[in-house]
Amino acid sequence: MSDLSSAAPRSSGPSPSIAHSSDSPLSDLQPSDLQLSNFPGGLALESEGLCKSYGRRKTRFEAVRGVSLKIAPGEVLAFLGPNGAGKTTTIKMIAGLIRPDQGWVRIAGRDPHREPQALRGVGAVLEGNRNLYWRLTPLENLEYFGVLRGMPGKRVRSRALELLEAFGLLDKRKEPVQKLSRGMQQKIAIAVALIHQPQLLLLDEPTLGLDVEAGETVKKLVRQVAASGCAILLTTHQLNVAEELSDRVAIIRAGQIVAEQTTEDLIRQFSQGAAYRIEFEGALDAGRRQEMALLGASVKGQFIHYLPTADTTSASTTLYKLLRILEPLPLLEVRQDRPDLTDVFLQLVQTND
Amino acid sequence: MIDLMLGELKRTWIQTLRYPSEVIGGVVILSAVFYGIFLGTQYMAGPSATFGTRLDTVVVGYVIWSLVLYIVNDIATNLQAEARTGTLEQVFLSPFGAPRVFFARAIASLTLRLCLILIVIAIITTITGSQLSFPPLLLMPLSTLLIGAYGLAFFIGSVALVLKNVQQLLSLFQFFLFFLLAAPTEDWTGLAKTISNVMPILPSTGLLRDLMARDVGLDWHGWAIALANGLFYFALGTLLFRWAEGKAKQQGSLGSY
Repeated sequence: MSDLSSAAPRSSGPSPSIAHSSDSPLSDLQPSDLQLSNFPGGLALESEGLCKSYGRRKTRFEAVRGVSLKIAPGEVLAFLGPNGAGKTTTIKMIAGLIRPDQGWVRIAGRDPHREPQALRGVGAVLEGNRNLYWRLTPLENLEYFGVLRGMPGKRVRSRALELLEAFGLLDKRKEPVQKLSRGMQQKIAIAVALIHQPQLLLLDEPTLGLDVEAGETVKKLVRQVAASGCAILLTTHQLNVAEELSDRVAIIRAGQIVAEQTTEDLIRQFSQGAAYRIEFEGALDAGRRQEMALLGASVKGQFIHYLPTADTTSASTTLYKLLRILEPLPLLEVRQDRPDLTDVFLQLVQTND
Repeated sequence: MIDLMLGELKRTWIQTLRYPSEVIGGVVILSAVFYGIFLGTQYMAGPSATFGTRLDTVVVGYVIWSLVLYIVNDIATNLQAEARTGTLEQVFLSPFGAPRVFFARAIASLTLRLCLILIVIAIITTITGSQLSFPPLLLMPLSTLLIGAYGLAFFIGSVALVLKNVQQLLSLFQFFLFFLLAAPTEDWTGLAKTISNVMPILPSTGLLRDLMARDVGLDWHGWAIALANGLFYFALGTLLFRWAEGKAKQQGSLGSY
């Protein structure tokens, strides 16, 4: 697969800085289109206080309660939550497909619910939907959706061919979509969502149902799309995918955001107080075991387990005391059992139950 | 908008012609229906009887009736099919807005339908050895009829957007349409005539019968009324469609089926 962009490396956090490569089909947004003056606060997406309820009286339930999200160009926000938490409703409110009861949305400074032209700034691959016409070929799908998104007819074909080449699908351009593999169909759906060069890409479960190889390809594509300056709002139940791809994470539960931070900070925050494990060689005598027990550590075979208190400084002090007690036995490994995004997600969701 | 229209034409034609066996099957069925009508003219009721007994009027009358029926159902059928296949929400992400997209789609499918009908008529005239004459003046009331029919199509489409399953309603609506196409409004006077002027597509069908069956020239005053009638119902249908789109977005049921 050819490189989509030779743009800058992934940003580690929300940043309005964007890098462009002139030879990439995903990066030919004009820098002037992305100047801060065009985006209030330099944001590709800004939503504030989104609320949505369904049903009436006794059957009424609040699907989304005051959700606010912001994404800068080039940033990937993983929007996570259990089933029924309000992810899809939120995404569809952002795309202008569901009208919020309260709150507002701006895509590159425009309201998709009031200005149809705002939809030029958004591309979407919606979960559970085919998103494509199966009787048409990839090229025909791209050409049709390009026109549907308001692109001039003359430019659509060249853009479609560029994308097919970038997505490694040029040789499949004349095959009806229904004859292609699920992974290829998903790549085409993403290409279709990008045909009009949107500033914001909404990806609802982009790797669902894909095999490992296709999943990896889609992940690579997402990274490259973000590197080209497009903001991405990603929902997935595959938390390893979210951890790999996202700059920031927002976790929604029962319609409310319960955590929103950079992915790194969120994991670090939940790492505080995580247990340490020290592996050593040799035998510990009873006296040293006793000393360790007094410091709160336990010894099992060749492993020492230490669960620190919340105070980071005293935890480090105790850790060094444990190591001094071990001296001069050879150390094989000292590691902290840091949680991954799955652990963080489960803790947050269960804490709020 | 021209690009959109061309895009829709291309999509509709490719989707239909990709599997030629389906098209051939459609042509065979339509030809059989037309031939059946030709053979059973004497037993036909409704519009064909009103149009007269000549092959011209029978066939042209049936073509018009089937076209209007096709147009009126087209948007609702299209909406339901797209909701089932999962592409409907992508269509609503278009900056053109749903009414323009669905109008372009309706025109595109009409051209396809017209071509199929032309093929069928060619087959029928070959089989029967008859010649069909289509007076160009017929295009005037036909155009107002089609404008009004698109208005009704948007009306049915609006119901489909909000209520989703409209198969029963579509069946019922066919009877109403049958009345609209067959009611002999030319003979009506006074209040009944005024009512017929404000009912959807009725003024156009009266003019069509004048031209096709009665050998009466085009009444330009009547055509102006038919045009106003068609435009009114078209505007009403599109306005209703916009309202239905908003309602479906409020209910969160746009992509449901």
